[in-house]
Amino acid sequence: MLDLLQSASDGVLYGATYALIGIGFTMVFGVMHKVNMAYGAASVGGAYLGLMMLKLGAGLPAPLVFLGAFLAGGLLGWMVYLACFHFIPLSSPLATLMSTVGMLLLIDEVIVHTTDGMPQNYPALFDDVMLRFGEFTLRGDLLLVFLVSVACMAALLALLYRTRLGLATRAVSQQAIAAQLCGIRVAQVNVTTFVITGLLGGIAGAMIGAAVGTLSPLLTTPLTVKGLIVTVIGGLGSVPGAIVAGLLVGGFENVIQLYRGVTERDLYVMLLLFAFLVFRPGGLFAPAGERD
Amino acid sequence: MALLELHGVSRHFGGVRAVDGLDLEVREGEILGLIGPNGSGKSTTVNVITGLYPPSAGRIAFGGRDITAAPTHQRLSEGIARTFQNIRLFGGLTVWQNLWVAQNSAADRAASGFLSRWMGGQSGAREDIGKLLAFASLAGREDELASNLAFGEQRRLEFARALAAKPKLVLLDEPAAGMNAEEIADLDERIRAVRERGVTVLLIEHHMELVMAVTDRVAVLNFGQKIAEGTPAEIQAHPAVRKAYLGGDD
Amino acid sequence: MDFYFGLAQLIGVHTLLGLSAYVVLLTGQVSLAQAGFFAIGAYVAAMLTVLAGWHLVPALGAAALTGAATACAVGFPALRVKGLMLVIATLAFGEGVRLFFFNFDYQIAKGDIKVGPLGGEGFRQIRFFPENGWTTLEVMLFIWTFVLLVMALLWWLDRSRYGAVLRAVGEDELAAQSAGINLTAVKVSAMTLGGVIAALGGGLYAHYATHIEHLNFGILLATFAIAYPIVGGLASVFGTLAAVLFVQGFLVEGLRDLGDWRNLLFGALIVLAMNLRPRGFLDADNLRAIKRLFLGGGRGAS
Repeated sequence: MLDLLQSASDGVLYGATYALIGIGFTMVFGVMHKVNMAYGAASVGGAYLGLMMLKLGAGLPAPLVFLGAFLAGGLLGWMVYLACFHFIPLSSPLATLMSTVGMLLLIDEVIVHTTDGMPQNYPALFDDVMLRFGEFTLRGDLLLVFLVSVACMAALLALLYRTRLGLATRAVSQQAIAAQLCGIRVAQVNVTTFVITGLLGGIAGAMIGAAVGTLSPLLTTPLTVKGLIVTVIGGLGSVPGAIVAGLLVGGFENVIQLYRGVTERDLYVMLLLFAFLVFRPGGLFAPAGERD
Repeated sequence: MALLELHGVSRHFGGVRAVDGLDLEVREGEILGLIGPNGSGKSTTVNVITGLYPPSAGRIAFGGRDITAAPTHQRLSEGIARTFQNIRLFGGLTVWQNLWVAQNSAADRAASGFLSRWMGGQSGAREDIGKLLAFASLAGREDELASNLAFGEQRRLEFARALAAKPKLVLLDEPAAGMNAEEIADLDERIRAVRERGVTVLLIEHHMELVMAVTDRVAVLNFGQKIAEGTPAEIQAHPAVRKAYLGGDD
Repeated sequence: MDFYFGLAQLIGVHTLLGLSAYVVLLTGQVSLAQAGFFAIGAYVAAMLTVLAGWHLVPALGAAALTGAATACAVGFPALRVKGLMLVIATLAFGEGVRLFFFNFDYQIAKGDIKVGPLGGEGFRQIRFFPENGWTTLEVMLFIWTFVLLVMALLWWLDRSRYGAVLRAVGEDELAAQSAGINLTAVKVSAMTLGGVIAALGGGLYAHYATHIEHLNFGILLATFAIAYPIVGGLASVFGTLAAVLFVQGFLVEGLRDLGDWRNLLFGALIVLAMNLRPRGFLDADNLRAIKRLFLGGGRGAS
């Protein structure tokens, strides 16, 4: 029982990173009705770029590396927007989808080539700190990952619900044409969404690196798949949904790993997704949608 | 003799009662007009009749058979066809293909075997589609992409497509929208021609002149309920209708 | 010369993969599951020839049937999810299949060695072709016979009513339903047909590659599958073929010296292609132009 709780708790803490990735996917979907398949790769890419700063300025403290990842993520987000959504007409959904897939492959391969495919060590903070409550442990590094992620989510929610930009974003996601008619520059909202989700992705990538201790290009595929699963389970377009779903998936997979081992773990996550698709295709929180 | 009957049909969307306890009857061979201000529930009624939304309450019968639970594509084979307010043609398909894919009447299914119906080429359908093209005045244009047609041509094509499955009832959802006087006169003739062939017509329209000219009877909706029913002359004089809708002009 | 035959084999198998996605794309469903059906076809066919001693042709038939059954099973729940959710669901399915084979062991002893799939190590010794004395040329011709058959079938389909119905569903489901088209039947049948073609391709792949493993059937392959018809354009099967030739021919042959950079260039190529020609190489308009050029303005549905 204790093992179960411990696994679940560790999983939920780590799941905050999935929540961030899920938020990224779901926001782009909500605002533009498109999936940015390159998002997972860009997040890992941001983490790598943050790492490069560490290499360049040897001995940079970890928080600066995280900051570097944060900013690099935003930059990559902007680049993906340019490559995939700026020139291609949004009325060609297949073309935009395909181009994001192309970017996914491109970013992935760039990472592999610049690092020769070798995993890179990632700085962690508080990895030697353990908060103990009897038999139950909260790992310091995971707790940090969780808290940083939560802080970002809180900042995002504040942005969405307390600022004009957030209001514009929500308006565009509900009725893009009407929003335009009200004077909102939709293209600007789109770019901003990409940059903001990029920033979040960079932090997510950095946090994953911090939690796991290494970064490797092999991370991008499972991260992309899990991020998409979280998005679907949470409800396409719903930020709160992505948050809850991310924590849920994190906890779930860790518990499964305890009982079935790591090779079968991902298979069960797929099954979880299929269960949702069959029983609750709208996800946990279907967002306010338009009538048909 | 009633062809289509709606008994106490309601359709709610959350708190909005788009259609509220509607009793409507379309008699075989007639041209029935359905009018009402914007938001009165006309389009929702059409969508419920064609099966896009299940009714929240009530029953729908067609030719004496209860079709309340029948899926949309099945209603077509029962004999109910429709056009759309905002034209919904298959833009990437040719004129010919738009008509071809719609030949889904029970008679069509029975007429040829599975393989020839699905995998066969165009020759079997040439005669029937030729007639449809003639109706739409689009003979010789069959290889053009539907999206390349002019607006009026698209409307005619959509009308012809609705007829492709040899329906017993055609629902025309605001077919005159965006048309000029000449096109409307043309539409008037087509509707009458269709009736000559034994097809019943339910015409949802805003264009009062057309409605008054071509329909046998008119039903008026407001706030999802029927507020009046009768001949065009009766409706024009009806106080409730005037109040809700006509307001003196038009 | 053998190198070119090998390349032609690869192009053939990838064309089948692309065509399997093409059929499904016509109905408006973007399916990343084709790599999964491909994998299933590969393992089933290989297991039948290696473990049960079947001849390749019936093994391919069985693989195709398995592909059909799986695709049909996927096709029904796929109806409940629209648009991008379908992309994600099919992606997850494909990954699920890959993970299944990652965990799948079934070996039997043959003489001194054990043969059969072995989880992460994959399935080696798929030696039907070498054991039966097929030359590289013969293998290539064998593969291309199937490719040409499938292309002919799909080309004919494009001219038939079924083809028009598929595209009508892809254009506007609401209008299609209202015109009497049974969406379920159309979408599931397209998915099933796609499954058959993909499984066939997979079975052929397993035998010319002689060694398959789960990593062959991941997201990259799923991506290739839809990239071909999207980059090639959905107006005609030849678009998909052209895209396969371009991608594999250009990347493999033209950039042979760059070795590992191929995948990177593939990504960049897709991004570029989509920006320059969002509707693909052969869209409806240039198809007509080409037809007019070669056939001099003949009749016939597009």
